[in-house]
Amino acid sequence: METDMNDEPFKRLLCLGCGFSYDEALGLPEHGLAPGTRWADIPEDWVCPDCGTPKQMFEMVVVGYASGGVDLARTA
Amino acid sequence: MSTSFIIRNAERGHDMITSDGSRSSYIAGHPDGFVTRASSFNFHEYQGGRPGFGPVRVFGDEIFHGAGCGYNMHPHHNFVICAFIFAGELTHINTAGGGMVDRLQAGDYYVFSAGSGGKHSELSVTPEDMHAIYLWLLPEQLYLPPTYHRGHFDFRRKRNEIVQLVGDADGALPIPQDLRVSRLMADKGRSFPYRLRTTSHGVYIFVREGSVRCGNVELGHRDSVGLWALDSINIEVLENDSDVMIVETIMIDDANIKKWEFEHASH
Repeated sequence: METDMNDEPFKRLLCLGCGFSYDEALGLPEHGLAPGTRWADIPEDWVCPDCGTPKQMFEMVVVGYASGGVDLARTA
Repeated sequence: MSTSFIIRNAERGHDMITSDGSRSSYIAGHPDGFVTRASSFNFHEYQGGRPGFGPVRVFGDEIFHGAGCGYNMHPHHNFVICAFIFAGELTHINTAGGGMVDRLQAGDYYVFSAGSGGKHSELSVTPEDMHAIYLWLLPEQLYLPPTYHRGHFDFRRKRNEIVQLVGDADGALPIPQDLRVSRLMADKGRSFPYRLRTTSHGVYIFVREGSVRCGNVELGHRDSVGLWALDSINIEVLENDSDVMIVETIMIDDANIKKWEFEHASH
């Protein structure tokens, strides 16, 4: 699993409102979050860019990507 | 650690979701359109209890009230969304595959795997209210190609047997998760054993109509039970025309659910 200098594995979180995912390794560059941005460092008033669900209603998931899925997630 | 729970109908989250104006982004059918939803699990802000069951995050029965009511076009990723129709008609516009419009009536059901992204709108356009059960679950992989499948449960012919609607049985709709959904419409006095795949699987049994006894637990209208770490469970039917939904799933090791169970463990 990918890590940064802190050696803490990157987390994946899923919006319980719509299924949008946030992957710490990928960030959301189009929304101003650089790759490697930790979930804890995202403002508490941040909401799902797709459906407006508040940050605290995301759930950490341990689910792998389908083949080619990482590239799709990058531009989701 | 407990290996079962009971959720009585009154303990579920009961919500009425109204259209918030002519430019409503979610509920269609302004000005009088509204959806009622009873949720078994803590979906979004709709219920304060157990967060899910294995990969299941939503199990709710919903009614779209009035012609034109439903959900406007909205996006999804990753979640696998199933709907089972019991009354009325659901018009389902979905971008999966090449894009399609489906109309589902009593006994019809769909499995929509949103995967890498899809949008859909669900509307009741006929005069009769639309009644459905919604099931949402986490997929076994993220960003799969989006898919849509639909099936039909023949409730006139399939009585007094457990019929698998979604899963790996012959004719069942495929789903990207180790999960099976079955339906049982049965009469009083009949008894049906349900054998789980392995002791790593669990089963969630929801009584939509009628009443049944599962082990030593009696379940009435919209009551449900979750069971795991067992080989099989016997479903004894206590009323004619009982209608039962059975969701069997792998019990993934879920931190959120474990945390909730720990915080709510009976001492």
